Amino acid sequence: MFNYNVKLAFKSIRRNPIMTGLMVAAIAVGIGVSMTTLTVYYLMNGNPIPQKSDLLFAITMDSWSPLRPFDEDQPERGPHQVTYHDAERLIRLGKGKRQTAMFESSLIIEPVNEDDLPFEAGARVTFADFFPMFNVPFIYGSGWDKSADAAAEPMVVLTRELNERLFGGEDSVGKRLTMQGTQFQVVGVIDTWEPTPRFYDPINGAFQEVNEMFVPYSLTPILELTSTGSDWGWKAEEITSFEQWLNSEAVWVQYFVELDTAHDRNDYVDHLDAYVSEQKRLGRFERPLNNNIYNVTEWMEYHEVVANDAKVLLGLSFLFLTVCLLSTIALLLTKFVGKKSETSLRRALGASRKIIFKQQLVEVAVIGFWGGLIGLLLAGLGLQGIEYLYDAPAGLVKLDWVMMFSAIGISVVSGMIAGLYPAWRVCQIPPAAQLKTQ
Amino acid sequence: MGFGPTMSALMRNKTGPLLVALQIAVTLAIVINSLYIIVQRVEKMNRDSGIDVENVIITYVRGFGANFDVVDSITNDINLIKSIPGVMAATVSNHVPLSGSGSGTGLRTVADETIDAVGTGRYRWSEEGLDALGIELSRGRNFYPGEVDYVLPSSDAPAPASILVTQDLADDLFGEEDALGKTVFWGSMESSTIVGIIGHMHGSWVDWDKLGNVVIQPGKPAYTTNKYIIRVEPGMRDELTPVIEHELGQSNRQRVVKSVRSLEEMAGRTYRRDRGMAIILSVVISLLIGLTALVIVGLSSFHVTQRTKQIGTRRALGARRIDIIRQFMLENWLITTAGAVIGVVLTVIVAYWLEVSFEMPRLDWRYLPAGIVILWVLSSLAVFAPARRAAAVPPAVATRSV
Repeated sequence: MFNYNVKLAFKSIRRNPIMTGLMVAAIAVGIGVSMTTLTVYYLMNGNPIPQKSDLLFAITMDSWSPLRPFDEDQPERGPHQVTYHDAERLIRLGKGKRQTAMFESSLIIEPVNEDDLPFEAGARVTFADFFPMFNVPFIYGSGWDKSADAAAEPMVVLTRELNERLFGGEDSVGKRLTMQGTQFQVVGVIDTWEPTPRFYDPINGAFQEVNEMFVPYSLTPILELTSTGSDWGWKAEEITSFEQWLNSEAVWVQYFVELDTAHDRNDYVDHLDAYVSEQKRLGRFERPLNNNIYNVTEWMEYHEVVANDAKVLLGLSFLFLTVCLLSTIALLLTKFVGKKSETSLRRALGASRKIIFKQQLVEVAVIGFWGGLIGLLLAGLGLQGIEYLYDAPAGLVKLDWVMMFSAIGISVVSGMIAGLYPAWRVCQIPPAAQLKTQ
Repeated sequence: MGFGPTMSALMRNKTGPLLVALQIAVTLAIVINSLYIIVQRVEKMNRDSGIDVENVIITYVRGFGANFDVVDSITNDINLIKSIPGVMAATVSNHVPLSGSGSGTGLRTVADETIDAVGTGRYRWSEEGLDALGIELSRGRNFYPGEVDYVLPSSDAPAPASILVTQDLADDLFGEEDALGKTVFWGSMESSTIVGIIGHMHGSWVDWDKLGNVVIQPGKPAYTTNKYIIRVEPGMRDELTPVIEHELGQSNRQRVVKSVRSLEEMAGRTYRRDRGMAIILSVVISLLIGLTALVIVGLSSFHVTQRTKQIGTRRALGARRIDIIRQFMLENWLITTAGAVIGVVLTVIVAYWLEVSFEMPRLDWRYLPAGIVILWVLSSLAVFAPARRAAAVPPAVATRSV
């Protein structure tokens, strides 16, 4: 019976190619536009580290000016980064299961071979815990040992791309690199790792590529590593040396901690409060106690990682899909009305209402399927356009299997919902009524 | 005239016209709100930056190695760049306007920390900075060469004797009063004197509401990365960009030429979200209008075919061709207008959602009548061809049995 339904559906589709074409086009365009925006939204709103997003926390401590809050529009918020030395001292106190402070920098890599040119590469200056905390996958070697954190050993972890560029992709663990006149030892190469959004640094861009290498934080004062990310300051301090800059009240370091249980979390906030209280005794942190921890999801919301434009486009494109479905219903109604005589004939020959109803639904499902398929192609084009327009890292926006199946699913189901009323109308046609007049 | 048959045709089958009216209503809501967003973004991108964006090249270089002397390197680089024929002016700067990356500070008219400071973008460049960006000084004077010295990161004291400010910043600081010659205070409570006023220029952060607030300090920043702003003769930019890159690359092996790009390209990147949104919405409304028009054409054609006999009868009973055209046009006009009425309500709801949830500016009401007129014209155009075909039905059709 189903096969017969499908056969009839194709017959009916072929009989009325313009109407059918319009319906397929309406569904295709609707699915194309809404899937494009939905994919962008889904990507921006995604959980970059689902296994641990409830266990990793960004911290904030209100070290800002006693005269005014960090953000006048949201006075309850402290600065979202910490000072260099607060970060260092908190690391030394430990307390969390794992913790890391970090900032973004860049280093000049001097040529390995004589003929090559030196070039600049982005670096994340961080601690050994960064790698296990954030589940960073390695191809060769591993992160550096914690002893390198303490001893400020020049060690470096490369990304797959940078290892490709420098060493042709071979196992480079143990090899040496000259940067800032210092010999660094390669201890590991990470595999492709694209947390999206880049949750550990939404401040300097949630949709940037991961920095090209990682080096120990304790090298900062020795190599005078400066942050290439954002920094904020409130205090007028005399800064005439790098040491004074590190000692300043400027905030430019991000701090993450891993905590397993709710109990640990409460303990950790107490721990921050205790630290700040102690600093207050030294004349710092003049604002009221305001220390917070935010898990990954909260941190993404804090930084409004999902752009307003993406939400607006999502809303408008679902209205667009509504227009497409309204068109489809109107077209179906018109088409079914045009099939009155055929339906009457089938009814007169013994087809029940149920069979007619099923017949109509199969027909719309077929239309919905084709619409969805073409819509997917349109969405693919749309996403390429968006990647180009927003200069996104290559391959960042793509349709995954979930999105593909949901696109086809949405179009078949919405096509069938659109077909319900017209199908019901068709079933009301009495048998033989149409046969009489002609 | 002609209203009777039209209404009776509409009332006989209410669902179809209602669906089309709803479709037109939602179309109106999307088109008007999108158009409003597009116009705002385009206006934002087309603001006058006060900078000769087309003729400016930006170069980033960075030295490395033990023997690298940053002051020597900048001096030689600027001399080298200025020796290239076609280059009009060049300076080293702490930041590049319109680049999205910059530095901000707060200024006060009195030395009192408890008073809120006026926020502003901050640049530091040489006496050639204004020329290098094609910025015009409206009053006062530029820096004297003697006021401009190399500034190392470790000595970046923000309080030089003389500074330039934009008129926007001057207005925010002093209101109606003339700012020229006045003293302003930095966060450190050190002071500087305003020696010149720039008519208008944009800073680095194009989404900031104080984009026009800029203060310029004299100096040649000798930081890790050296940013050169270079202005060339009109029309020579694309020709000179590779020349500058090549010359700089050859002259000193102790530093990396990170990038040589036009300011136009950099500003384009800074505005890419706005441009992206405007383009996406334009594509969306084009698709939408195209689809709605096609659906109207398709439905009316189908109705014409369905009603061939009825049309023939009307013609046989004395209706002229123009009456038939009018009937279809009127029917369509009634549906469109009903859709527009619902559409206005929907448009306002969507506009309210945008305003409340995303802090977008309130919809300009003039977009509503404009949108309705566009829909009228569009749907009339869409229905015209099918209506003409209907009018071509010969009266004799009525006498035939199909």
